[in-house]
Amino acid sequence: MTLSRAWVVLRKDLALGPRSPIFLYAIVLPVALTAVFQLAFGSLFEPAPRLAVVDEGSSSITAALREMDGIDLTLLDDADALRAAVEANDHDGGLVLPPGFDESVRAGDRPPLDLFLSGESYAANRLILTVTTLDLVRAVDGGPPPVQVDLVRLGSAGLPIGLRLVPVIMMYALFIAGAFLPASSMVDEKTRGTLTAILVTPARVSEVLVAKAALGSLMAFLVSIMTLWLNSALGANWPQVLVVVALGAVFSSLLGLVIGSLAKDGAMLFTIVKSSGILLFGPVIFYLFPDWPQWIARLFPTFWMIDPIWRVAVLGEGLGQVWLTIAVAVGIGLALVPVIRVLSRRMLTQLASAS
Amino acid sequence: MTRQVSRVAIVAAIVRKDVREFSRDTLYLVLSAVGLVMFVGLFYLVPDTVEESLTVGIQQTGMDELVSAYQAGAETDEALDVVPVDTAEHLRAAVAGDLEVYRTASGETVLVGPGAAAQAPEGSTTVTVDIGIAFPVDFVALTTAGQQPTVTVYTDADVPSEVQDAMTSVVREIAYTLSGRPLPVTEATVVLGTDRTGDQASMRDRLRPMLAFFVLMIETFALSSLIANEILNRTVTAVLLTPARVGDFLAAKTIYGTLLTGGQALLLLAAIGALTATSWGPLLVTVLLGALMFTGIGMITGSAGKDFIGTLFLTMLLVLPLLVPTFSVLFPGTAAGWVMAMPSYPVIDALDQVTSDGAGWSEIGPGLLGALVWVVVIYVAGVLVLKRKAETL
Repeated sequence: MTLSRAWVVLRKDLALGPRSPIFLYAIVLPVALTAVFQLAFGSLFEPAPRLAVVDEGSSSITAALREMDGIDLTLLDDADALRAAVEANDHDGGLVLPPGFDESVRAGDRPPLDLFLSGESYAANRLILTVTTLDLVRAVDGGPPPVQVDLVRLGSAGLPIGLRLVPVIMMYALFIAGAFLPASSMVDEKTRGTLTAILVTPARVSEVLVAKAALGSLMAFLVSIMTLWLNSALGANWPQVLVVVALGAVFSSLLGLVIGSLAKDGAMLFTIVKSSGILLFGPVIFYLFPDWPQWIARLFPTFWMIDPIWRVAVLGEGLGQVWLTIAVAVGIGLALVPVIRVLSRRMLTQLASAS
Repeated sequence: MTRQVSRVAIVAAIVRKDVREFSRDTLYLVLSAVGLVMFVGLFYLVPDTVEESLTVGIQQTGMDELVSAYQAGAETDEALDVVPVDTAEHLRAAVAGDLEVYRTASGETVLVGPGAAAQAPEGSTTVTVDIGIAFPVDFVALTTAGQQPTVTVYTDADVPSEVQDAMTSVVREIAYTLSGRPLPVTEATVVLGTDRTGDQASMRDRLRPMLAFFVLMIETFALSSLIANEILNRTVTAVLLTPARVGDFLAAKTIYGTLLTGGQALLLLAAIGALTATSWGPLLVTVLLGALMFTGIGMITGSAGKDFIGTLFLTMLLVLPLLVPTFSVLFPGTAAGWVMAMPSYPVIDALDQVTSDGAGWSEIGPGLLGALVWVVVIYVAGVLVLKRKAETL
């Protein structure tokens, strides 16, 4: 194998690659996923009780609710619209505060308090909204509470959902740029016949594969660093982060070579992605749910690729603390090399019989 | 010498060719099966229960009736799961995670760890106590006497602020009640819609329509790639040199595409237990509509794409936006207007209603009519694009 010939193939891919929509997709996807996951899906994993309020006066209850963390407050203008929205489960609860409500409470008139709860809301959310509302009404009534409550917080807060989503986005970035890009490039060259054309030149299949792996590694590295930066996970230990990301990029490109060698056409490529997708993305689910038995995640090969990145980039650990995980990842990567060799021979046979 | 061959036979022959091509490729066949198995595996991996109550450790003396009354007085007794703990120190240790908490079959709480039991009783289940309330011994006496006792709420730092606030409010409300201060309002709580307390849709329930839809969607990539290959390799031209007409070719692709996408989706629905005696009819029609919709998209992208990458990109452009409505299933409440206007929404909505709520024809009928309109538009567009491409080759 001559590296100079591999470099020629890589240079061709780098020159022609940006014309391919997959390059654009590999760059845009992490940005889009960061926006979608951080803005939309954070609320899926840590949903706050949703309360709609129609305040026909200017109640201090509404002002207090605005100040509260953990209650998703929506102000509506119409009581009928509130009822309809609560019934549709657009809100867990709805509160209608008539004009002069606060004055009426202070005057001891015991005005009616209409609290609507959605039939589909969780029992815990109903309890939270009910007791919170009653507590705020008591505050309007005034006077010191008959009990002093000391709140003692124990332990340290866990990682916010925004950070726990980073492995999901990183896995997509690594897979699309590192694995899917070289795999689709190989399939494209097979279906167009350009791979056969390259192989009738002095270039060997191993040199083509090295070039494709280099292309995937380079793109995966750049896109992953961009993803970490977008998610504010590129900290002071960035030199160590670069090392683990580089290893992850090489690992994903090796997976790309396996997929690209195995798939003879586009339909096969998607079938492989479909059938192996859960195996590839399985471990990142466990970062979202830290209460799940974490040992299961270690059964997935890609865990050993993503975990060093998670621990070094997000948790701030050093390379010395993740060396064992890196060693396993390197071991799996080395084990993939003979697999790729066998598959590339099979690919050559297929190309020869097709031409 | 010519032999008259029926159109049906010609279409069947083309479909047989496609199916044979599919089945000859053992790897493709195995991977398709593995893909379905993986989806089914994922389905059974996801929890099928919903934790909708707050588990609260309570340490108190002489307040059994009061706590029970408050628990029952909560909006539903599902809301509060009270775990009695013997001492404030034990409660603090349990919340801090220094003691493990177990509940026996008879409902008794057993603490395991330093200064408590050595091991959990057989058959007991573990309970996570993230928040706890420690009432002082003389709480009732002091409160009724108009004095202000101090109650400690222990909370894990991870417990959401609204839960911490709510538990503080619970303590205050108990004290207000004991001190004879009634609510300063006439409270009227109304539950709107079907009360699903204790019968909430779990993540597994929500995953059912999503998985079926994903299978339909992914097979579109395979179908568009297959059509693109036929065009690139001029197989279409070869087929049209036989007595087959363009219409036969299109009919065969429709049948094959619908079988490829819809067949796998139905297999998946059967494997995850969604096909029941009452649901199979509505699901069959919904999946058929979805399969036809994606077959139409596969025809458009397969015939318009010049090569594999072009086909892939075009398919992504058309298919990925259609994925958006599937996420509306995960979030509670009504989907946004623009989401409901998307072609895939009626299909995913019907799948969700049938698999999660057990809806029948009357509930999903109007939505399916909307889906039918979209299917006709997309499928006709697909047929016209592919027909034009086949005729110009």
